[in-house]
Amino acid sequence: MNNEFCLEIKNSNKSFPGVKALDNANFKLKKGSIHALVGENGAGKSTLIKLITGVYRPDSGEILINNEETNLNSPNDAMLKGISVVHQERNLIRRFSVGENLMLNNLPKNFFNLIDYTEVSKQSKKWLKILDLNIDPETIVSDLTVAKMQLCEIAKALSMQSKILLLDEPTSSLSPQDVKNLFELLKKIVKEEGVSIVFVSHKLEEVFQICDYVTVLRDGKNACESEKIKSLDRKQLVKLMIGRDEQIVKSNKIIDDNNKKIIELENVNTYLGHKGINLFLKKGEILGLYGLVGAGRTELAKSIVGIEKILSGNLKLNSKLIKISSAKEALEKYRIGYISEDRKKEGLILMHNVLDNTGITIWSQLKKIFNFLDDSTIGKKVIPYIEKLEVKTPSNYQLTSNLSGGNQQKISVAKWLAAGTDILFIDEPTVGIDIKTKGYLHELIIDLSKSGTSIVLISSDMPEMISLADRIVVMKNFMIKGEKINNHDYKSMSSSIMEFIHD
Amino acid sequence: MNTLFSNLFKKDWFGLLIVVFFGAIIISLLKPAFISPFNIYVLMSSISLMLLVAMSQMIIIAIGQMNLSVGAIGGLVAISFAGLMEVYNMPISLAACIGIVIGVVAGFFNGYITAKTGISAFIITLATLYIFKGINLGITEAQPFYEIPEAIRFFGNEKIIGPIPYLIIIPLIVVFLMWILMTRTKIGRYMLAYGNSIQSSELMGISSTKIVITAHVISGLLAAIGGMLVVCRLSLGTPNIGDSWLLPSFAAPVIGGALLAGGKVDVLATALGVVIVAIISQALVIFKVDPFFVQIFLGFMILFAVLVNRYREYQEENKKKIFSHE
Repeated sequence: MNNEFCLEIKNSNKSFPGVKALDNANFKLKKGSIHALVGENGAGKSTLIKLITGVYRPDSGEILINNEETNLNSPNDAMLKGISVVHQERNLIRRFSVGENLMLNNLPKNFFNLIDYTEVSKQSKKWLKILDLNIDPETIVSDLTVAKMQLCEIAKALSMQSKILLLDEPTSSLSPQDVKNLFELLKKIVKEEGVSIVFVSHKLEEVFQICDYVTVLRDGKNACESEKIKSLDRKQLVKLMIGRDEQIVKSNKIIDDNNKKIIELENVNTYLGHKGINLFLKKGEILGLYGLVGAGRTELAKSIVGIEKILSGNLKLNSKLIKISSAKEALEKYRIGYISEDRKKEGLILMHNVLDNTGITIWSQLKKIFNFLDDSTIGKKVIPYIEKLEVKTPSNYQLTSNLSGGNQQKISVAKWLAAGTDILFIDEPTVGIDIKTKGYLHELIIDLSKSGTSIVLISSDMPEMISLADRIVVMKNFMIKGEKINNHDYKSMSSSIMEFIHD
Repeated sequence: MNTLFSNLFKKDWFGLLIVVFFGAIIISLLKPAFISPFNIYVLMSSISLMLLVAMSQMIIIAIGQMNLSVGAIGGLVAISFAGLMEVYNMPISLAACIGIVIGVVAGFFNGYITAKTGISAFIITLATLYIFKGINLGITEAQPFYEIPEAIRFFGNEKIIGPIPYLIIIPLIVVFLMWILMTRTKIGRYMLAYGNSIQSSELMGISSTKIVITAHVISGLLAAIGGMLVVCRLSLGTPNIGDSWLLPSFAAPVIGGALLAGGKVDVLATALGVVIVAIISQALVIFKVDPFFVQIFLGFMILFAVLVNRYREYQEENKKKIFSHE
């Protein structure tokens, strides 16, 4: 009984100015198990993870590792006690070799106290072998695929003799096949290496597929604590997370065949490598672009809105041939907007406040004499959208970098609403977004299209695609593989989509 | 054989070696004076001094920072070294030791403040540049120290054999040790890891404070040695030693393929960068180009090298993109 748990968090509290992030939270990780940690954005998940990894210290409460009370004062401290994190942001040194990365904390030395690289390769091979990874240890990390990098991180954690592994959204950029491999591997290391895993994910399908136990946080409190996953079903779990039943949003709009084609692409080749793309978008339609990561969807959207170059072929807007040379021109002349998937890098200016970020798309519309802009003019235009999307911000002058991921995403959507575009490209709108906000965003997308905006939705989330799109186009290797009118039936749609991908 | 060559071509230093080789041949065909023993001696002497300046900056570039005070540290150490010998009649070895201590302390000061405050090293070293230079001018009252022992003059101006100056011994040892440091020691690899990604290296348990301070201490040490070698070469300690170091200190590492964002430096390529800058400066003199143009030329060379580095990075990214959809 005593040695059953390798990590316990007891009655921990943590407050930040204005928020109680953790309120008597408990968590017990059983040895040799995979334990899901789920909750909405802002529920306290990341705070709990940061307690476990030594980034934060609890205001009160205990942390027990192997039944011993412990203070974790720094990430290094946590690492020495056998806790490793496989982060969402890859934490390998990209210009170093795989072997050197694996051994970096314990580099083998030769007689002269210099690093012995033959030994580095030899010792790192051992860890790669445990994971059945067929990678030459001398490969430079930046030459690996994302999936392989992640596996290397797991190998790295094992090489540091970690017994507790924290995986934070590990599948967000992996293809289904890579996810399958990853899960098999996780099961294997739990069984053979005696590792215990904390698995943090928004994808509940995965939680049910791989985890043994689940802890749900809601508003910093335990909605359930270390429950056996088998005792719950999806509906109950969602209810625990959001405190009410999930509402599935479905578009039930009928797109008339006679609707005008607003955008048409004929035989388009792009600088980024698209070949012979034929595509159209009808007025008021939601066109889904589905494909695996790397299929060229984002790249196609960027080429259409003028961020990247179109080499040949025709681009027509309302049957007229056009040429878009920049995103500015797309927005101001043709009223086409693009909401980036990478909201931190491309969507928002994190150092600016909410108002500035939302207003940026309409600055040039609002400019008055002498080009002066004032906050009240912008505010009049913009604040209704911020309110409509229920952006949780203490004030409109808050820096966006201080907001949670979901709220940042709402702002990057709000900014395009304010711009009032006719055509909107929306790229992966709900990656890393919790179920509740996801629901809002889905409703919003449908409302937009009902009010006449034509939308191209790029998403790797099949359920999202099937519930929102009117028509789905499947891409692979920078080409279009097929197209299907969406009947909103998950089973039939998903199988025909997968056929296009694996033909 | 083929793979040997293609591997060599991937190394930054190999391309530069070819440039140096053919550059030297072409210049000496046009102006045979270029390979006169005296000219080679002058070239080697200036290379010797600039090697230390370049290494001093390179190690800071490795961690993704900049050290604007390299020249100010070199200058302060140079006048201290000369002054201690002239005013207090101190033996050379003791004066050199104190010189090194001053360099190390100055570097520690830069590193400690940068690491503890998290303020960019650019700003910190801009401030310390004026502090060190101010101390220098305060001590010297802008007057040089002339009374330098004969041994110092000898070491800075005589030749070991043929055109090879004694001056080059220390820089060659330094380059070798730096090469070992950056490729084969834990602390050197940690510096590069830190330069690659501060966040990742911290998550791997590497102490940022230690890395930043160590890099700045080594930078200060090398600048100090550089300053003292200039005293040997000139046989006097003037307060303006180090004033012209800034541009060449960046030129050589950048020509050697270093990324100013950090995480990528190459010791051998940086050394060849020094040689290229020296050859070009010398060639401009031999072709009787106005000395003011040398600076313009150097400025353009840095710009060119930065563009080349950027282009290569871009190519690598593109190659990966194409590779990833196959």
